[in-house]
Amino acid sequence: MQHQKMPGTTPSHGPASAVNRPALFARYGTLEDLRYDYPLVLVEDDKGGTQFRPLMRLIDDALGAVAQPGPAGEAQRQQVLRLEAAIRRRVAAGESGRLSDLWRTSAAALLQAQGEQPFGPMDTNLDRARERLHADGMVIGCDAATPKAVLSHAWHAVHRDKAAAFRKKVDGLILRLSDILKADFMKSDEAHGAEALKSAVGQADSVGIDFGALSGILARARPVDRLPEDRLHRIGWALSVLGGQRFYGPVRGSELLPGQPKPHSYIFESCARALDAYRERLPEMVEFVKALTTAELEAEGKYRPAQHDPVLNAYDESDLTAEQEALLPAALVLLRDGEDDIAETVRAFEALASGLPIKVLVQTDDILGTTSPEPSRHAFGGGSARLAAMAMGTNNAFALQVSSAHLYRMRDALVRGMRYDGAALFCVYSGATPSVEGVAPYLLAAAATESRAFPTFCYDPSAGPDWARRFDLATNPALEADWPGYRLDFEDGTGQRLSIDTAFSFIDFAMCDARYARYSQPIAQKDWSEKMLPAADWLTLEPAMAVARVPYVLGINAHNELTRCGVAEKVAEAATRAIDAWRRLQELAGIRNSHAERLLAAERVKFEARTAEAVAKAVAAAAAAAPASVGPAPTVAVVASVPAASPARAAAPSAAATAAPAASAAAAPPSDLPWIETARCTTCNECTQINAQLFAYNDNMQAYIVNPDGGSFRQLVEAAEGCQVSIIHPGKPRNPDEPDLPALIERAKAFA
Amino acid sequence: MSENLSACMMRMVETDYALSDYQSDIAPRWCVGCGDTAILTAMQKLCRDEQLAPEKTVCVSGIGCSSRLPHYMNAYGFHGIHGRALPVAEGVKIRRPDLDVFVTTGDGDCTSIGAAHWIHAIRYNMNMTVLLHDNQIYGLTKKQASPTSPIGQKSNTTPFGSVLLPLNPLTVTLGVANVSFVAQAVDWIPDLLYDILKKAFHHRGLSFVRILQRCPEFMQHRFDDYVRDPSKMRILTHGNGLRLSPEVSRVYKNQETHDPLDMGRALAIAAIADEIPVGILYNDPSVPCYDDLRAGERPSTPALVETVLREEFDKVTIWPDDAEPVAAE
Ligand SMILES: Cc1ncc(C[n+]2csc(CCOP(=O)(O)OP(=O)(O)O)c2C)c(N)n1
Ligand code: SF4
Ligand code: SF4
Ligand SMILES: [Mg+2]
Repeated sequence: MQHQKMPGTTPSHGPASAVNRPALFARYGTLEDLRYDYPLVLVEDDKGGTQFRPLMRLIDDALGAVAQPGPAGEAQRQQVLRLEAAIRRRVAAGESGRLSDLWRTSAAALLQAQGEQPFGPMDTNLDRARERLHADGMVIGCDAATPKAVLSHAWHAVHRDKAAAFRKKVDGLILRLSDILKADFMKSDEAHGAEALKSAVGQADSVGIDFGALSGILARARPVDRLPEDRLHRIGWALSVLGGQRFYGPVRGSELLPGQPKPHSYIFESCARALDAYRERLPEMVEFVKALTTAELEAEGKYRPAQHDPVLNAYDESDLTAEQEALLPAALVLLRDGEDDIAETVRAFEALASGLPIKVLVQTDDILGTTSPEPSRHAFGGGSARLAAMAMGTNNAFALQVSSAHLYRMRDALVRGMRYDGAALFCVYSGATPSVEGVAPYLLAAAATESRAFPTFCYDPSAGPDWARRFDLATNPALEADWPGYRLDFEDGTGQRLSIDTAFSFIDFAMCDARYARYSQPIAQKDWSEKMLPAADWLTLEPAMAVARVPYVLGINAHNELTRCGVAEKVAEAATRAIDAWRRLQELAGIRNSHAERLLAAERVKFEARTAEAVAKAVAAAAAAAPASVGPAPTVAVVASVPAASPARAAAPSAAATAAPAASAAAAPPSDLPWIETARCTTCNECTQINAQLFAYNDNMQAYIVNPDGGSFRQLVEAAEGCQVSIIHPGKPRNPDEPDLPALIERAKAFA
Repeated sequence: MSENLSACMMRMVETDYALSDYQSDIAPRWCVGCGDTAILTAMQKLCRDEQLAPEKTVCVSGIGCSSRLPHYMNAYGFHGIHGRALPVAEGVKIRRPDLDVFVTTGDGDCTSIGAAHWIHAIRYNMNMTVLLHDNQIYGLTKKQASPTSPIGQKSNTTPFGSVLLPLNPLTVTLGVANVSFVAQAVDWIPDLLYDILKKAFHHRGLSFVRILQRCPEFMQHRFDDYVRDPSKMRILTHGNGLRLSPEVSRVYKNQETHDPLDMGRALAIAAIADEIPVGILYNDPSVPCYDDLRAGERPSTPALVETVLREEFDKVTIWPDDAEPVAAE
């Protein structure tokens, strides 16, 4: 047997190469040719609250608005997509800038390269699309700088909204208090003095007016009820505190008067500094809250010294409420795992447990860590993937774990975390691991999520009182399974196309890393044996069975040849730990929950006993009644339709899998179930990537819904939005407790 | 303490305004039997029941007998110029949205000399309550026909009787873009007058209440038939409009259930000639208010005003060679 080849390459008969990549990566050539979530546009002055959007989606929206449907708009679509590819290439090459600038320079270069005239048809087409972009901002790629850029951007956007609300409130009070003082001043001698009257009339008109006499007349007519001294003093004090606050800066630079102290900064490089700053600023916060309260009462004319002075005099930092703190800015702490001192991690937990509005980003570039057993055995194979899970233990801190590849998908959660009143931890894996060569950070980040090395999850204490509402794991692929599976296509030595279903596991992920390569060495084909077993299956074996078998994962070598790689014990152990952590997350999300399963098993035993009894009774009764012929037993109803052929994987629910109906693919399926117009599927992998438990290919490699309960409604809606030919119909939500349902149902309407 | 501190401290201050707290020390100079008195009382009752702070309440008027009302209210008042009550009230409201603004205007003041302001105030739909005291005559200037005077009305300016059909303030108001609240009341059913005022006050937007008002001095017997015969009054009721007390219901049996969102029916009711409809003809709370639309993101504090002015002046300033300021960073 000859070496197996990935499709699209010429066969080679060389020996197994030492340079290996996971076989799954063979699918992805160069990322620059793909339309995916990057480049990402960090939207400026974002009124809609979208904060950041993939360039691809902005361009699709613009094209949707400007390009005619069908062949008439095809030329324009092609030109704009070519421009998008040019921008993507520039960003991948390290260029950065605002979208409008990149668009301009890329369009100019494109025109020149194509020999097109300025103001010619292509220029006009591009310009029309540009006018419909509706957003501008820095364009970023997926690299080591991404997590910090995205998180800072989100923080600034939330900070800006808070600042606007703050100013509206505080400036409104300043205005009302100033009015009171002004009205009082207008009753003073000074306001009615000859000089004041003269300057009010102005030089040009003042000739011939006796301002002294006028002043005398006005002085006699004016009211005499001046404000009491203590009230004037109180209002003056409140005004000076509100006007001199340093929590938010002025909108216009020129409003900061010379000598006025600069506003506080809320971006920190360590939690220790953030906590210190918070403590230092406490007296200012207390003073501010007192002044704000005084101002509110004074503006309403309801300050009563006898009643209110004692309350405010006794008010101190222990009285600060969450509502009051929410008015003030949240701190942002930017940490980098591996660069910051380990003691800083401890301080981070102190900050998270404090419940103060401190937002901590822990960016990690290296999940696996070094292979040496120092300082603890568990350093092998990743400690940073545990920080967010640990933060959930504080119970009142918001925690989000996500890799750069899924930042956009988790955008809503990210913004919720930034807006959350208390502390929040964001653990983001950049994918820019120095010891991994030749794999784009985006791909590696996605692989980290796929392989359970860095699952995506969010814990939001503000979402509700229970775990079902607070904890969200839904963005991971193949939620119910240990590892996500995928289908690998290849050619054998004779050029025959074959495919196998395989899993993408932690071991596949570790294989990318140069430090870990030696733990999964290729095994020469002559040494392959019957004892070999895919690692994902091997990991489920009882120890006694496991020793008799040899685990392997599939890799591809430098010649694009499919190889089997051995799995060393240490990396297998790390994989076991990863799956253990994943199962814990599953349990928290109510998937394969051990308590529930135990209960269910007990109930099932009871149920079966009852049915057996009932059946026995019915049979006895029937036998007694009539000796007529007995018809066939009723069959199980089919719940999911399988449009063209039965699925390759046996994972589909047993009731559905067995009975593949011969129904034509075009027929609309019953009622509220999700469905796909399978015959129109272009096999782009978009939906199957999202969740293979939900979307799978049939024998024609066209997608269908393999199990309507295999994923969330959100995934169905996102898949429908992502499907380039719009053939996915999400149906109605099946789990009434899924978060954000109203918004999702609204989005699903477009695909009814 | 999770509750808002200032709200909590405000509740420590108890107010207990009585009707007399809204009466000024000037005694009303209206003729005996003048309907304006009933309207003043209804307003003072409303202020008491809502516990409106007198110093947070503003009554604005134009010129006329009716427009003397601000003098008799213990609140801020602005006795303006003829026909211009509404623009003055709009100015107060845009600058001091925290104040409750009431406008008193007569049929001459509003529908004659002030007609342009009336139309635009309806369209602006600012948050205030407008009371049109409609006695169908110029009272203060001693009997001249007004636009709402009935055809054939003899007066100092129409000695042989007025020759034009009267203008109907209800249909006109209902026809203006952005209209959000139109009601009709009569001074001789105080219960309903009060209920309607209350609904008008709680409506967010401009509430226009036309009040048919008796002027025994110059329009004797004008409404006698209606005052004596309750069946000639058509009372509009609805879950979203007036709910009648059993007492009122017993006397005024001629009732119609009318949905205040039904503009078609509202126009038809407004045009009824032989009966007087009383109640809320139209009420759409979703119409946007100009004061809300224009409420700036940032209040114009003295510092902001100064900054903006300085920036504007700097744009056109010609600096002496040696005095040009350093550009801001
Ligand atoms: C600019 C101007 N034009 C005319 C007048 C004279 N004027 C005073 S009150 C009035 C009419 C008042 O009628 P109405 O508004 O119906 O009030 P009523 O006295 O009936 O309550 C007129 C024409 C005036 N004061 N100012
Ligand atoms: S996303 Fe749409 S086109 Fe692509 S595979 Fe799925 S169903 Fe087919
Ligand atoms: S003239 Fe008429 S409107 Fe004026 S006060 Fe007398 S009764 Fe009232
Ligand atoms: Mg009048």
